Amino acid sequence: MHTAAVDAEHEYVYEDDFDGNSFDDTSAEKYTDMAAGKKRNSIMSQESEFEIDDQLYSDDDGTDAYNDYTLVEPLSTVSARELNQGTVPNLKYECLTAQSIFEKMVERVNHLKLIFNICTEDLLSLMQHFDWNEERLLESWTDKMDDLLVEIGLKNASETVSGTQIDASNGTETARTLNFRNNFSCMICCEEKTTNTFSLECGHEYCIDCYRHYVNDKLNSGNIISCIGCSLALKNDDIDKITGSPSSKKLMMSSIKSFVQKHNKNYRWCPFTDCNYIIHLKDTSSLDEYARLHYSPFVKCSDSHRFCFSCAFEIHAPADCNVTALWVNKSRKESANLNWVLSNTKECPKCSVNIEKDGGCNHMVCSGCKYEFCWICERDWTPHGKSFYQCTLYKSDDDKKNAKTSLEVAAKTLKKYTFYYKMFNAQEESAKLDWTLGQAVGAKVRLLQEKMGVSWIEGQFLAESVRTLYEGRTALKWSFAVAYYSDASHNLTKIFVDNQSLLSAAVEDLSELLEIKEPAKIMDRKTDFYNKAGYVENRTSALIECGRDLLCKGICKPV
Amino acid sequence: MASLPKRIIKETERLITDPVPGITAEPHDDNLRYFEVTVEGPVGSPYENGIFQLELYLPDDYPMEAPKVRFLTKIYHPNIDRLGRICLDVLKTNWSPALQIRTVLLSIQALLASPNPNDPLANDVAEDWIKDEEAAKQTAKKWSKLYATPKQ
Repeated sequence: MHTAAVDAEHEYVYEDDFDGNSFDDTSAEKYTDMAAGKKRNSIMSQESEFEIDDQLYSDDDGTDAYNDYTLVEPLSTVSARELNQGTVPNLKYECLTAQSIFEKMVERVNHLKLIFNICTEDLLSLMQHFDWNEERLLESWTDKMDDLLVEIGLKNASETVSGTQIDASNGTETARTLNFRNNFSCMICCEEKTTNTFSLECGHEYCIDCYRHYVNDKLNSGNIISCIGCSLALKNDDIDKITGSPSSKKLMMSSIKSFVQKHNKNYRWCPFTDCNYIIHLKDTSSLDEYARLHYSPFVKCSDSHRFCFSCAFEIHAPADCNVTALWVNKSRKESANLNWVLSNTKECPKCSVNIEKDGGCNHMVCSGCKYEFCWICERDWTPHGKSFYQCTLYKSDDDKKNAKTSLEVAAKTLKKYTFYYKMFNAQEESAKLDWTLGQAVGAKVRLLQEKMGVSWIEGQFLAESVRTLYEGRTALKWSFAVAYYSDASHNLTKIFVDNQSLLSAAVEDLSELLEIKEPAKIMDRKTDFYNKAGYVENRTSALIECGRDLLCKGICKPV
Repeated sequence: MASLPKRIIKETERLITDPVPGITAEPHDDNLRYFEVTVEGPVGSPYENGIFQLELYLPDDYPMEAPKVRFLTKIYHPNIDRLGRICLDVLKTNWSPALQIRTVLLSIQALLASPNPNDPLANDVAEDWIKDEEAAKQTAKKWSKLYATPKQ
């Protein structure tokens, strides 16, 4: 509701300035006119496009009534604003914290409690071991209950077989607590010393120093940590006891991470540094349709970080995810760093994390998502049991050909690329500066409040302007990626380039305005702020729409 | 150089006073973390009668980190590549500080006795091994004679 109100105000002021002609620069006035006209046009054309596309879509496959419904819905002020950000309207998602994910995990396993009759912590370990595949867990469970518990380390092997082989002289009564011992000889460090020791029910007892070192090493792997001597698992309590700090939190975090990873269709971590929010998209069925129309599902976490749900990248309109990925990859490729990454690593086929093979065989297990694949053909490992060798010959040939053509293409387009890359970088640098500017804006608003007696709400136009500026810059930045992949001779591309320079000019104008430091002057030029910010906003949406047009019509062909 | 951990001293002592049959491991004079190792080919395997030289290095974090082991002698084996690198679980994910130099070397000897071409490191060797096991074993025997026979 609040956003809608603010937007309405914007619209209003903007229209107002239209009649009032507060711009003294005539060319700016002309631009404003054009921008306004364009905006209306673009929204209209976009609506009609939806209809046509939907028509096509239902011709191909008339079953998807749900998508039709979401996309044909009329655009409210709010969704117009969303469009301005290059996102699709009506994307329903929620922002979660790690804690609420954990609650979801507990919820997931709770109904299993009756079947398994073990504690929640153990159940979580079980589920994690089975990659949150409940069916597989239940299947294995009915096959071999006790073996399973022993295998995962939830149960001591000696409890299931009669007659323990292990000398349990220190007994179960001292297990899972720190014990103080005189002249204890530790198997790991071979030192004889008077020290605290730790052991589980299995009786494998080691000095606390070795145990702590061992646990700290394993904490980052995210797997269940077992006893040093056997597969019996340490519980979170034990880990905290051994390390003397609540370090099992780290393990819990990685367990939460693995849960999110396993459900990466619906969940996405906020990619911003040190942000621990997770976006949960309940219904992903319309994502394909969005992608087809070259919209990107931009979302915002509770910390106001905005990013693309599909590719977990920052807001990249007018570019779509495809262009973004190619562009980012390309710009990295130019650096020596990526050269190394390209020649020494491969992407996990499942989660796209870069993997370096530093030894061992071709049977790869991704440390992130635990996907098993073949290093040679980058496909699933399962069918490789017997016929692994077939992939060696096949791929190497292909690779050579690819390498050759890509080299030629790179040489040909290097000049063009350097130009666009410089433009892109310049905008990125400016965006960074704007960001610092934005940090200072809070102080400015306070100054306005103190010196001019302006209310906080009234001072918010400054923050709004900074946000608009940032959005404009980001759109401008990514538009160079789109331009790079577009057919330069096409008329629409030329229009797109014109749009770029218009937005660029508008952005610089607004940026200059935000440099003003004296509170009195700021208040004097309040209408200017509104005007210029409104103009930037309109130019941004015009550029984004134009870019989407290029993509939809296939003039921008990312290859 | 930091002083040698007691664990390494003890293991070294035991390797010398109570050696594993068919395996020798001697620390280098200059670097007591670097071992020169020989492993006899297991009886009944294509590597029988061969004496294979390996190098073993104990990293700074040993025993929390697995020792690094590599074959120096050329060997025809699906899980050992041309550079002598070994694909063995206890050297990677299944390492535990409770294991020792001697257990690792025993595992390597066991790997010689039972190659696993379905989880290959040397693809070409594994390919041959699956296509025609007998022929591959013959090659392994030939290589052992050629490269792993002690010089007179």
